[in-house]
Amino acid sequence: MTPHPTVLILPVALPLFLGAFSLLFQSMAPDRRVALQRILAGLGLFANMAVAGFLLFWVLQRGPQAFQLGLWPAPFGITVYLDTLTALMLAMVGLLSLLIYPFALETIDPERARLGFFPMLLFLLMGANGAFITGDLFNLYVFYEVLLMASFVLLTLGGTPSQINGGIRYVVLNLMGSMMLLLGAGITYGTLGTLNMAHIAVRMAEAPYTVQAVIAGLLLVAFGAKAAAFPAFFWLPSSYHTPHPVVTALFSGVLTKVGVYSLFRVFPLFFPTLLATWQPLLLTVAGLTMVIGVLGAFAQPTIRRLLSFHIISQIGYMLMGLGVALSPSTYGVGFGLALAILFLIHNQLVKTALLLGGGAVELEMGTGKLSELGGLVHSRPLQATLFLVAAFALAGFPPTSGFIGKLGLLEVTFAAGQWPIAAVSVFVSLLTTMSMIRLWQSIFWGKPRLSPPPGVRAPGRALWTTTPSAILVALSLAIGVAAQPMLTLVQTAASQAIDRAGYVRTVNPELTEQDRSLPLGIQSQRSEKAGG
Amino acid sequence: MTEIYLRLVDRILTPILLLIAIFLFLRGHDLPGGGFIAGLVAAAAIELTILALGSAATRDRYGPWLAPLLGIGLMVAVTAALIGMAGGGFFLGRWIQFEVAGETLKLGTPQLFDLGVMLVVVGMAVTYLLRLSEAAETPPPSTKHRETRP
Repeated sequence: MTPHPTVLILPVALPLFLGAFSLLFQSMAPDRRVALQRILAGLGLFANMAVAGFLLFWVLQRGPQAFQLGLWPAPFGITVYLDTLTALMLAMVGLLSLLIYPFALETIDPERARLGFFPMLLFLLMGANGAFITGDLFNLYVFYEVLLMASFVLLTLGGTPSQINGGIRYVVLNLMGSMMLLLGAGITYGTLGTLNMAHIAVRMAEAPYTVQAVIAGLLLVAFGAKAAAFPAFFWLPSSYHTPHPVVTALFSGVLTKVGVYSLFRVFPLFFPTLLATWQPLLLTVAGLTMVIGVLGAFAQPTIRRLLSFHIISQIGYMLMGLGVALSPSTYGVGFGLALAILFLIHNQLVKTALLLGGGAVELEMGTGKLSELGGLVHSRPLQATLFLVAAFALAGFPPTSGFIGKLGLLEVTFAAGQWPIAAVSVFVSLLTTMSMIRLWQSIFWGKPRLSPPPGVRAPGRALWTTTPSAILVALSLAIGVAAQPMLTLVQTAASQAIDRAGYVRTVNPELTEQDRSLPLGIQSQRSEKAGG
Repeated sequence: MTEIYLRLVDRILTPILLLIAIFLFLRGHDLPGGGFIAGLVAAAAIELTILALGSAATRDRYGPWLAPLLGIGLMVAVTAALIGMAGGGFFLGRWIQFEVAGETLKLGTPQLFDLGVMLVVVGMAVTYLLRLSEAAETPPPSTKHRETRP
């Protein structure tokens, strides 16, 4: 049975519909409204996971799929494009948002729920899903804005001074990133005369180097800022520790990863040659992101501040994977990208597990300060174990998913002859291990220094707060132990992501045969060569 | 009570502005105009009422509709997109024609979508404006505290 291709729009339409629906009850009594919104959000997250799972299954059976909104043929309409990479990301974000839901149900305070936490969760999901699935550069910008607005509301929900402070930094720096993206999209339209990503891929190959370099630079800065790469990472550590812990956990799995995904999508598709010529730049950015992130983590006094610096550090590994994405290796071209995708998935699992665990501690003890915590292993052995396993997974110890990801990335960088970055990444892994052990020690080891404030730890709460991180840690271990199915999956994803001809063919087979010429005033590379 | 001339202007201009908003909305189908700008004009009309009668009176008048307006607008827009599914494509344009007094009128999903946009804009803008004027009407509680600061 072949489903109608319109199902491709469901990851966007479903959260939007349910989110809008749950805003209809604003004039109801707050208690009943919140109860309804909780149910609708749960329904939406569950249905979204089901859709994402189905799409992943479908794309593995049938290969990449595309759908034109309003049935306008590409490049005139907005294209929705689904391949294995997209489906994997949809499934991961669906899974993470579904797993944080019980945690949120249990711990979110009535005030934040009344202000609209649950509808905003759905809008955030819609923005992320849209950014994954769109095949149009301007539409990508629009979904980034949706994501930014929804995350800004979630970040400042509750309105404490520190939240407003962090929220303003977050929104100002992210808006600058958005401006870069908009500028890049504008220049693309001005020079190539199109915004459809498949059409851009066709025409970009014809464009002169300056045009390619300007657009690639702008997109790199824009997505790099969204991904919290060096040097535009300041927004992350100054805002992630301020909201409710469940929001931080969700952000760590979604926001920066959308930026990384966009880099993975756009660079192999638009600029395959620049990936080789700009390799030193990409690897330098990756190395600096790693080192600065991990060094910053050593100076942090609270759980979430420390972990948010580790988010940055880990982004460096993904950029390192992007840098060697198309380098030849013994496993074929594109193995670097495959491992970068694997590392991205690993990081989403582990980082969210860590932040959920740390968040649960912070909520129960009433503080996240490392100097005040200690000795929790006696009262919470399960939480301590999960946190330890996740910490070692982050550092890259076997038998976790982090080991597979880091080992593979090292192998590709060695094969590409990039010794310096490989050395840096090993050194950063060592520092990460030290930092994580220090974190674990100061939360869980030693003598209990602080008794939990009375009344916070309700019976049965641990079940809701610990199960999600247990599932995430179990998945990380499963990937580490039985790596082959996952490796096959990410290799499929990478081979589809670097297959430019396939992308264009799926979106609209006529695009390649159509006039490939650029708009007037832009000299094509071919005529440039012929003239010079 | 506010100045009499403001109330007079409100009496006269607010209905006219709302009519202009409807005109702009309908004109937007194939000429400059449309839901976004019409929503802003309608919000400006309501802002006039806020200035003339105060935020409390305005909230009494529009309050119950204001809060869910955002959701209603989004629902209308999504519905317009979903109607296209009947023809096989999300956001596919669908039109109906009917005769009114010898003229052929066309109504379609783009207009329905635009209506959704207009409702969202009105809902957002008026909520902002009401909050702003409420904040302006209540004196800041911490003035004294600020003065004692060194």
